[in-house]
Amino acid sequence: MHIPLLARLFLMLLTMLIPAAAVAGVNTLDELEKVYGDKACMTCHEKVHGEWQKSLHSKSVVHVLGGLRNFITFGLTRDWKKPVDKANLMRCMHCHAPLLEHASESLMADIGALIVAAFDGKEGAKKELSRLNVNCIVCHNTAAIVETNLRGQPKPGVYYGPTGKTTPAHGTEKSAAITTSAFCSRCHWLYTPPDGDTLYCNTLYGSYQDAYRSSGGAATCQDCHMKSKGRGHTFPGAYEPEMVREGISMDLHATGAILQPGKGIKTAVIIVGLMNNAGHRIPDG
Amino acid sequence: MDVTARTDSGAVIVVAKKEYREIGLDTEGNERLGAWQIKEIIDLTLPPQKRIDERFIVEFPENTNTAEIEVILKYYLSPSYESTVHKLTKKISFGK
Ligand code: HEC
Ligand code: HEC
Ligand code: HEC
Ligand code: HEC
Ligand code: HEC
Repeated sequence: MHIPLLARLFLMLLTMLIPAAAVAGVNTLDELEKVYGDKACMTCHEKVHGEWQKSLHSKSVVHVLGGLRNFITFGLTRDWKKPVDKANLMRCMHCHAPLLEHASESLMADIGALIVAAFDGKEGAKKELSRLNVNCIVCHNTAAIVETNLRGQPKPGVYYGPTGKTTPAHGTEKSAAITTSAFCSRCHWLYTPPDGDTLYCNTLYGSYQDAYRSSGGAATCQDCHMKSKGRGHTFPGAYEPEMVREGISMDLHATGAILQPGKGIKTAVIIVGLMNNAGHRIPDG
Repeated sequence: MDVTARTDSGAVIVVAKKEYREIGLDTEGNERLGAWQIKEIIDLTLPPQKRIDERFIVEFPENTNTAEIEVILKYYLSPSYESTVHKLTKKISFGK
């Protein structure tokens, strides 16, 4: 087949450039936000975006700043004597900011420094970090296919949802996983980084499977945290008093009795009943 | 969870304090708070789909005629964030 010279050059450039860029990764937070940020979704999905902004998923780095800083300062630097590099930071960011998998080593080093600076009270650093989170693209692309070995990697620019309803705005595809609890388990469960260590940041999905489903519970994470009461993308949890009250019911019975004939010891017999109505242990972590 | 009894004679009795939580340990059995340090979890939380009945017996001074039992269930998320989930009280009385 005859390929015009220009096209041949272009093909060559493409094959040379793409792998290089993919290995090196994105160098600045501006670029990361431009390609993978939530702003591009806001115009058309305004309601969902507003709900998501209220959720902890939109603050998943700045909200745990102390923990991340201690990991860097005491874990990596003091105890392990290991570099603050991409592999080590992804131990946390695999769940707290998965889009950093597209970041270069130099951006990861910057992020490490920003975390320490923000912890020390530098508002500018905190503002920069607030751009890192679990956003639309994480859930509707990066994490949307659970069995990637079977079903393949998510395609760039395609957003996976519960229906796969088509739109001229962007590619869509139905995700078999996204309406299941297994989808949430990527981040709400035990994590094994590539080096085989284990991370117990939170193990709530274990309790869901082993204690809730095994004793007859049938609701999915999405049923309680999204569909119930139109909660949508606000994902209420432990910081939402109404949610916690829904999760635990309590009753009190108390009776006065005069015990031990002759002695007449005035006594109260108290029974407090606690019922966990959630789909997992309370509290978690 | 705090269970307290207040009697008409002015006595305040702490009946019980109970915690429901997870304790994260490292491999040497020390309590650890960092996600990267925890390798074992002791689970003292409220399990789902199960009702737990806690029973308490408390003795009062002789001059008690009535008492108010109070149970407060609080949720602690961090040293700076706690909220009351439920508060229930019940009055009991002795004899005539
Ligand atoms: C498997 C995914 C995952 C990994 C890996 C992970 N986290 Fe988390 N982390 C979570 C989730 C999910 C929550 C929220 C859980 C909850 O509120 O029950 C959380 C909560 C936290 C909290 C808040 C705890 C609290 O009680 O509110 C801190 C601090 C934290 N993570 C730090 C870290 C650090 C530091 C690392 C890396 C050493 C890390 N996490 C790794 C998923 C993860
Ligand atoms: C933590 C993961 C998560 C994040 C973050 C997230 N979504 Fe979703 N989204 C879901 C899940 C799960 C469903 C399916 C719920 C169901 O039907 O069971 C869904 C459903 C949807 C739907 C279809 C149904 C509906 O509610 O309209 C749209 C559109 C959507 N998301 C857009 C977005 C946009 C835009 C953002 C960012 C502002 C976003 N999502 C962030 C998990 C997420
Ligand atoms: C130009 C408008 C527009 C923009 C921008 C846009 N969307 Fe959509 N999106 C739509 C429309 C229209 C639908 C069709 C479903 C509907 O009517 O809600 C849709 C559907 C979806 C669905 C649901 C698919 C399903 O299975 O139900 C997801 C998920 C989604 N978009 C994610 C995103 C994400 C993530 C972004 C940002 C990167 C984004 N969208 C940007 C217009 C847009
Ligand atoms: C890509 C990782 C990821 C996925 C996927 C994910 N989450 Fe989360 N989720 C997090 C992280 C990280 C936090 C903790 C944010 C923080 O504390 O700053 C969190 C927080 C939450 C909270 C608030 C916890 C609290 O303490 O109040 C709820 C509720 C929640 N997630 C439910 C879900 C459900 C339901 C799904 C599945 C539909 C899901 N998440 C999918 C990472 C994820
Ligand atoms: C039957 C309803 C129900 C189901 C199913 C359910 N949850 Fe929850 N969840 C709740 C309630 C109620 C709370 C608030 C009580 C509490 O803080 O634990 C909660 C709290 C949480 C929290 C905050 C926990 C904490 O202590 O910080 C997270 C995270 C969470 N759920 C994630 C999930 C995930 C992930 C799943 C699926 C594996 C799931 N939930 C399934 C009802 C449910």
